[in-house]
Amino acid sequence: MALLKGTLDVLVLKTLSWTPMHAFEITTWLEERSTGRLVVDDAALLQALHRMEERKLIVAEWGVTKNGRRARYYRLTTMGRAHLRAESERLVDHFDALTTVLAIRKA
Amino acid sequence: MLRPGIRRLFRLPLRTSASIHADVDEELESLLAARIDAYVAHGMSPAAARDEALRRLGTTIESARYQLHQSADLRERRMRLHEHVENLLQDLRYAARGLARRPAFTAVAVLTLAIGIGATTAIFSAVNVLLLRPLPYAKPDELMKVTLVAPAFGERKGTDQMVWSYPKYLVFRDAQRVFQENALYSGQQLTVTSGDIERIRGEFVGATYFRTLGIVPVRGRDFDRSVDAHAGAPKEVILSYAMWERRFNADPAVVGRVLDLDREPYTIIGVAPRGFLGLTGTGEVFLPITTRPADDLDQPFSHEFWLVARRGAGVSTQQAATAVAVLGGRVAEAFPDRVLGNARMGAKAQPLDAVRISPLIKRSLLILFGAVSFVLLIACVNVANLLLGRASARRREIAVRLAIGAGRLRLVGLLLTESVLLALVGGAASIVVAWLGVHALSAVNPATTLRVNRDTSLGAVAFSSISLDWTALAFTLALTLVVGVLFGLVPAIGATRASLTDALKDGRPRARRGMGSASAGRHTLVVAEVALAVVLLAGSGLMIRSLSKLMSVDTGFDARNVLTVRLTVPPGGLARDSLPAFYTQLLERIRAVPGVLDAGLNNCAPLGGSCNGTSIRLLDRPKLALELSPPIGIDWVTPTWFSTMRVPLEAGRLFTDADRANTPKVTVINESAAKKFWPNESPIGKHVEIGQGGLDDAEVIGVVGDVRQTPDSVSHPVSYASYYQSPRAGVILFIRTGANPAALGADVRRAIHDAAPQYPVYDMQTMTDRAAAATAQARFSAALLVLFAATALSLAAIGIYGVMSLAVAARTREIGIRIALGADRARVQRLVVGEGLALVAAGAVIGLGGALVATRLLRSLLFDLTPSDPITYVTIVALLGVAAVVASWIPARRAARVDPVVALRTE
Repeated sequence: MALLKGTLDVLVLKTLSWTPMHAFEITTWLEERSTGRLVVDDAALLQALHRMEERKLIVAEWGVTKNGRRARYYRLTTMGRAHLRAESERLVDHFDALTTVLAIRKA
Repeated sequence: MLRPGIRRLFRLPLRTSASIHADVDEELESLLAARIDAYVAHGMSPAAARDEALRRLGTTIESARYQLHQSADLRERRMRLHEHVENLLQDLRYAARGLARRPAFTAVAVLTLAIGIGATTAIFSAVNVLLLRPLPYAKPDELMKVTLVAPAFGERKGTDQMVWSYPKYLVFRDAQRVFQENALYSGQQLTVTSGDIERIRGEFVGATYFRTLGIVPVRGRDFDRSVDAHAGAPKEVILSYAMWERRFNADPAVVGRVLDLDREPYTIIGVAPRGFLGLTGTGEVFLPITTRPADDLDQPFSHEFWLVARRGAGVSTQQAATAVAVLGGRVAEAFPDRVLGNARMGAKAQPLDAVRISPLIKRSLLILFGAVSFVLLIACVNVANLLLGRASARRREIAVRLAIGAGRLRLVGLLLTESVLLALVGGAASIVVAWLGVHALSAVNPATTLRVNRDTSLGAVAFSSISLDWTALAFTLALTLVVGVLFGLVPAIGATRASLTDALKDGRPRARRGMGSASAGRHTLVVAEVALAVVLLAGSGLMIRSLSKLMSVDTGFDARNVLTVRLTVPPGGLARDSLPAFYTQLLERIRAVPGVLDAGLNNCAPLGGSCNGTSIRLLDRPKLALELSPPIGIDWVTPTWFSTMRVPLEAGRLFTDADRANTPKVTVINESAAKKFWPNESPIGKHVEIGQGGLDDAEVIGVVGDVRQTPDSVSHPVSYASYYQSPRAGVILFIRTGANPAALGADVRRAIHDAAPQYPVYDMQTMTDRAAAATAQARFSAALLVLFAATALSLAAIGIYGVMSLAVAARTREIGIRIALGADRARVQRLVVGEGLALVAAGAVIGLGGALVATRLLRSLLFDLTPSDPITYVTIVALLGVAAVVASWIPARRAARVDPVVALRTE
């Protein structure tokens, strides 16, 4: 299932709110938690990470994975945490409204 | 590998584009590898795993790489820009905090800059308006001033600035082909005789005056060209804007109304644009010359008009000047001057811009500008000095930054931010100083400053038009930035070049005996500063000495407790024969005012510039042509004027009331005249012919003391005529009072009104005010120069203090050792003061050399004083010595109080 526009960033931030991760961990975490319903293209994910790095929502740092490979680890900044809080509230509210309206039409 | 945050914190270079791309590629590969690992772990073949991983990219690997390179570059660019802004803000905050932490340093630096830049801007504003800015007329470079040239003859000096007579002008006008427009003008005092009676200044002008200048009346119309055709033109007047506002409340329907001038009705035909007061700078109304009667205008030797002309298209200044020189010969042929013999009159044209302002004012202004530039230089040197001291105090901090790899450029930038910030704050404060200065300058009354040489033709630009304009503001801003960068750059480069090990070891420059290399620069600056201050001090010292001589000149009369006021009987107001009776009645009324001791009349005020001049022929000598005879001044007085002004009678007798039109003609002369014309005999009883006042054969009856006409000139021969014998319409009343003369103003005015209700009474001043006005120009220049010199001296003293304080601080250890080894504290003190004095002595020697050259420019402004006046130089050297001792005394005392134990432990 393709992602709704504008939700990728907030999903990535949500993912990183648990612990710093590298790109593969992020996409795997999203897939597992959504039971395979949220699938992100890798190129799109990397671009989203660049975008958020520029906005100082996350910072990147090279590290070493369990398998002994070098990977870029991303960590949420204070600004990123605040952005996540505000954005997820907005989105939840939005979907709540959508659900309510759609439920009415069905009835 | 340092974290980027740390790199940024310490201003280390950021990543290159290639390393960014390498990062992106590595991350992409790492993601693919992680995915392949995961698929393989789930049992896929490596080839299938790779295919699946590439599919999951969502696009081809090439396109993904390209897009990611783009987005990473964009990210880096934006972050770097953001960082630059952040850096700048951070530097600014850092600089501002640094400045706030050292309020004394900041206050001194800002004040220094504010005075330096502010004063320069103020003087520049004046220079710009008075000397540089194009004249406020259409195509001002086409305008020329055309004058007659008179050769020297007899006892008279030649001049190339002679005015025209109307007939001579007509010859010129009809023959000339180089000017498209030209017009005569001359300043004229007039009496408004309708409504409120008042005395005003106006201009008699040619009909094409406004057209020549390219000025169009804002209301009504210009004079018709036909007005110039012949004398007896209709009586029309164009008002100045100021006059229109003042007398007519800016009435839109003023055109067509009538204004009585000198008892003649003039129809108002127009209003001149705002701010235009004619080329005299004082004209309130403009009347055609041809409104004057024909017999007034057909006198070829009655020279009274200035001529302004606009060059025709394609005529160069040089061509116009050549043509005018030729025309001058033509004019001289038309009106041959017998007395000149072989010498001939000529004519000359020069750009109006070149003669826009009195040469004396021009010179004063340029000197002031030079002086204020020196103040600015000293201010900059001082601030550079302060910053240099500050930079050396921060060597350790800078060395730490350099050691961990901070860019030198970035550090210089940081230090520059501080100096530019300082300069900007100083620049902002300087606007206040400049604004105050400009207001003071524009308040200078040009009528007063110009009175010195009475050059009423040069008023095209007025002091009142001086304002803090955009040019001056831009000038300030440019100065501010140049100063900021210049005085920031030198210390910044010097500090970042510091030897790392040296600075890190103890955080301060190695201080050796006397002048270490680090402080040599500052010492040079102090020497330069002192040298500049000496030049300024010399200039202002000379001006003060000159001024005090000027003020103490024996004027020949007692100015205290004398009230003066002008009164004019307008033409046609009173028959000539009834004037003496009017004077008698007027003086009687004035003497009846309580508090008045005595009163007398004179047509001319002492110290008021030149009065009437004519020639004298001694009738006991061979007869010369009147024009070749020696010049002499002539004043009209009533018999009591001498006693009122306490002018002493040296020989013979004064006029009496009995010397009348029908009794033998008599004259009184001054001492200078007596000495010059009768050096070895008594002038009493001699007969003379004086060119004015109907004194064609007058007996010299008395000699009185010299009365100065200007404070800065030697006394010239002057003769006196009695008002009762040769009546005249214009008078100045001189009233001696018991006490405060100004307090009697209202009573005197009332008394005059009782005697002469219909005549304008104006220009009431105490005699001491008139005397002060005569020295206004000199006092103005001197006051400014003194202000600049005082500023320069205090700045130099601050500079010496700063350098000596730093030197003492740097040598605390050495001084401690000296004291520990038993050096006398007084000796330490002498050592420091001696070093301060050595700096000043070096600066003073250089400065005195410069001053001897520079003050030659002052020669023409000095009264009774040579530019190398020894007293002035001795005084300023003494003054400097005192300033130097005081400035190095405070650090010296600190040095003498050094506790050897503390001093040695601190290291």
